[in-house]
Order: sequence, then C-alpha cells, then structure tokens
Amino acid sequence: MNSLADHQRDFMAMLLDDAQPTPSGWGQRHRSGLAVYRNNYRTTLIEALRSTFERTERLVGEAAFRRAAIHHVILNPPAGWTLDTVADGFDQTCSQLFANNPEVGVLAWLEWAMNMAFVSRDTAALAAEDFVRHCTAAGDGDWTGMKLDFLPLLSFGPIDCDLVHLWSSLAQPGDQPAIRALPAPHHVLVWREGERPVFALQSETEARAVKALSDGGSWGAICHELAAQIGEDTAAAEAGRMLGAWIALGLVEKIAIG
Amino acid sequence: MIVPTPFHGFGLGLRREHYADFLDSVVPVDFVEVISENFMVDGGKPLRILEEVRARHPVILHGVSMSIGSAQGLDRAYLARLRLLADRVEPLWVSDHLCWTRTSAHNSHDLLPLPLTMEALDIVCVNINQAQDTLGRALLFENPSSYMTLPQDELREWQFLAEMTQRTGCFLLLDVNNVYVSACNHGFDPADYISGLPLDRVRQIHLAGHSPGEIVIDTHDRAVCDEVWDLYASVIGRCGAVATMIERDDHIPALPELLPELDHARAIAAHARQEIAA
Repeated sequence: MNSLADHQRDFMAMLLDDAQPTPSGWGQRHRSGLAVYRNNYRTTLIEALRSTFERTERLVGEAAFRRAAIHHVILNPPAGWTLDTVADGFDQTCSQLFANNPEVGVLAWLEWAMNMAFVSRDTAALAAEDFVRHCTAAGDGDWTGMKLDFLPLLSFGPIDCDLVHLWSSLAQPGDQPAIRALPAPHHVLVWREGERPVFALQSETEARAVKALSDGGSWGAICHELAAQIGEDTAAAEAGRMLGAWIALGLVEKIAIG
Repeated sequence: MIVPTPFHGFGLGLRREHYADFLDSVVPVDFVEVISENFMVDGGKPLRILEEVRARHPVILHGVSMSIGSAQGLDRAYLARLRLLADRVEPLWVSDHLCWTRTSAHNSHDLLPLPLTMEALDIVCVNINQAQDTLGRALLFENPSSYMTLPQDELREWQFLAEMTQRTGCFLLLDVNNVYVSACNHGFDPADYISGLPLDRVRQIHLAGHSPGEIVIDTHDRAVCDEVWDLYASVIGRCGAVATMIERDDHIPALPELLPELDHARAIAAHARQEIAA
C-alpha cells in the first residue's frame, strides 16, 4: 500500500470515529480542520436521511429521528457514490430502535421505496385496450404459459398497520399520525405512475402471485397455486380479478401468451 | 477526445427551488450548471426536467463524487454512468474537484483534502487520464476550499494544479471564493495563488458566499462578499473567454434576488475587459 492510501485510510477512520487518535505530527490547527470535515460528513448524511424520511421524522419526532439517524450513520457508513445509499437499511435501523412501534420501520421502508421508484427506469404500462388486443390475437393459444413483465416494483410485507391511512395522515409538518390496524396482514407494493411514485396494499395471496410472476413464473403455475390455496371453484375467477386489477393499476409492462 | 471550447457567459447552478422558473419562463442566463450525480439515475422526473432545461440552455455537468485523488483508483461503474449522462446531455464540459471522497470501503460524501505531494500528483494524473479516456473528453477540475493543510505537503496548491494541467491536458474550474476561503484558513495571499495558475487553462469561474469565523467555511449560503468580488475583478480580465457562475446551495433565494448578483458579475467582467482593451 502506498503512503497516500495509508493517509486516506487513516483520515477516513478519523472522520468516522472521534475516538481514533490523530497523527503525532498534527497540531491544534489540524485537529480544528478535522473537526470541520467531521461536522460536514455527519451533517450531510443526516440531512440526506431527513430529506428521504420526512414522514418517519414526523412520526417519531425530530429528536428521536436525529438519534436514530446518528445511530444509523455510525453503524452503516456509506460506501456508494450516490447519497441515496445512505438511506439503505434505515428501515431496519428503525425497526430495531423502535421495536415497540413496528409502523416506524414499515413507514421508513415505504419512504425509501417511494424514493427509489421516483428515479426508476422509464417505461410504459400496457394499456387495457392493448391487453385486449393481445388476448384477441392469442385466441386459443396456451394461456397457461402466459408470462407477464411488470414495471419496476418494490414490495414489502406482511404488515399489520394501515399504511395508506398513516401515509396520508403525515403529509404535512405538524400533522398527527393516525395509526390503526388492518383487519388482516397485507403487503405494500410501490411503483411509478408517470412521474409520480405510488403505492397500494395487496393481500398476501396477490403479493405471492406478483412475486412468482416477477421471478419468471407462468400464469398456469399461479392458477395452480391459487387453486391449492382457495379451491378450484374460485381460483379461476380470482386469477382473472387479479390480472384485471394489475392492468387497471398500470402495473404490467408486457405480456406474452403461449 | 472532446476539448472544452472557451465559452463566455454568465450562469447559475440549477437547483430544485428554481425548476419551475427555468421550465415556465425565460431566465436570463447563458448556461446552467447541474450536479451530475443528481441526474445519474435510471429515469423519472429529474431526467425529464434536465432535458427540458437543456433544450433551452447549454448545460455544464459538475460532479462531486469522482474522487480523482483516490489512491485506490476510480470507480469504473461511476465513470460509465457519468459517460451515459454526458452522452445524453452533450454538456459544455464535465467538471469535478481536486480532492478525494472515498476509500475502497467508505464514501465520505465530502471533498476531503489531498496531501499535496509528488506521489499524490502522480496518482491524480493517472486517475485524470483514466477519467478523460473513459469519458472521451478533457475535464475541468475545481480548486477546493480547505480547512487544513497537511504536514507532508511538498507543493502549494496552485503548483499542484499547474503541474496537473500540464501533465494531463485537463482544464481548470477556478472557484474564486475557494481561493479566498483557503487563503484565510492557511494564511497565503490569494493574489499569489491566482498568479501561480495557468490562467489560459481556466474555462469556468465559480463565485459563492462563505461563513466567516476562526476557520472560514465554504457554505454557499449567502451572497458573494466584497473581497471575493475584488478577487474576481482581479482575475476575470486575465482569463480568456470563461463561463462565470454564482453557486448557492443553502438558503437559496428566489431568482429575482439571485439574478442581480449575476448582473454584478457581468458588470465587473465588462469593466475588466474594457480596462484591458484600453
């Protein structure tokens, strides 16, 4: 290792940890300068977290959020070139620190996912009329082999809290959080509609179907799985309902039949 | 290799607070500068806004994460992503800072001071050559503001910059406020610094405000001070055609408050050029 590499390794260690000793040749002016860089480093990262997790900060309060942010930055110093990576794993930090309030970690995940969806790749959802055209063209093709490509999606779950209600209750500074439970566990699905990141709650069954199709599974396999869960009689209708809902929400990018 | 063509003009850093102004009205600037990393994304609104602004104004890509002084070399994935953006935007030029920001393990997201040694100069030049080859264009590097010098320093910063431009063919983004800030912090004469630079390699000038104190901090949160205007007046006539820009990154005012500062820069530059012509 060359001496510049040694210097940079030692300087970074001093930046990240106040307890690291400074080099023997350093005087007060060097230590004062280092203090400026340390302050810049921490302020930049904490402000990046504050701007990504505005609702989470409103939920837990400014002081508790700041403590969580400092804790996260100390334990997870960023490695990537984009400041977005500072936010990676902050939902898990919140889940650990606010273990008695599981909605905090879930809300932090949702804010992170909305942030990611905001700059996800540009693509267009399959319009309902295009879907009909595909179906007509396919005629008696092999529908069990149908495959779907979704828009870039992020999903999380299962969760118990009503995230839709919580999200809207924290839209503005000073708003009071509204925390209430869902009647059954759900999953959260995040994607981008035009330029706007959006999210919806899904049942566990639907979330599992989206995951299986996203992983390359076929429509036939989804229907088979559904039949095992809810019975042959209702599986076909439920599969059709889910597909219709995905088309209507604009989640499907491409479809290939048989 | 694309070489930056001299461009005489006056511009602003494009900040979120001013997106609507730039999209909905005619803003009297000759160019805008954007932070490259904010647009090195897969898609979405940021790139759409940049494309719309680019349709109206020349754009400069100014980065903060190249880490040209990293002993471990450059991040190839970062360079590839920057190349994609540069090919898309076709900027006047691409710039970054003479500094380091990361080791192989961590990224500080701050512009950290390089030891001004011959070893660091060799490493910086190797990295600049790699970056210029990958991006297919000669780059500009900005003199950073700094809050400490290092005991192992062998060169003055202006000597380092001069040697760097000569060895690599890169150009300079002269941040006049940073010269002033570092001069205050390290006790040198800013005129010596300016005189030591190869001014023919300067393609752009940054002007900004700073926070005074025992250590002067480059905060970009206020108007340009008189001392920095004086320094600008002393150098602008000695450069060729350059792009002058006001940088504001905090306490960002509405455009009607910022544009008069740019007019002030125009007036100073015009006066300096008249004096030289006379």
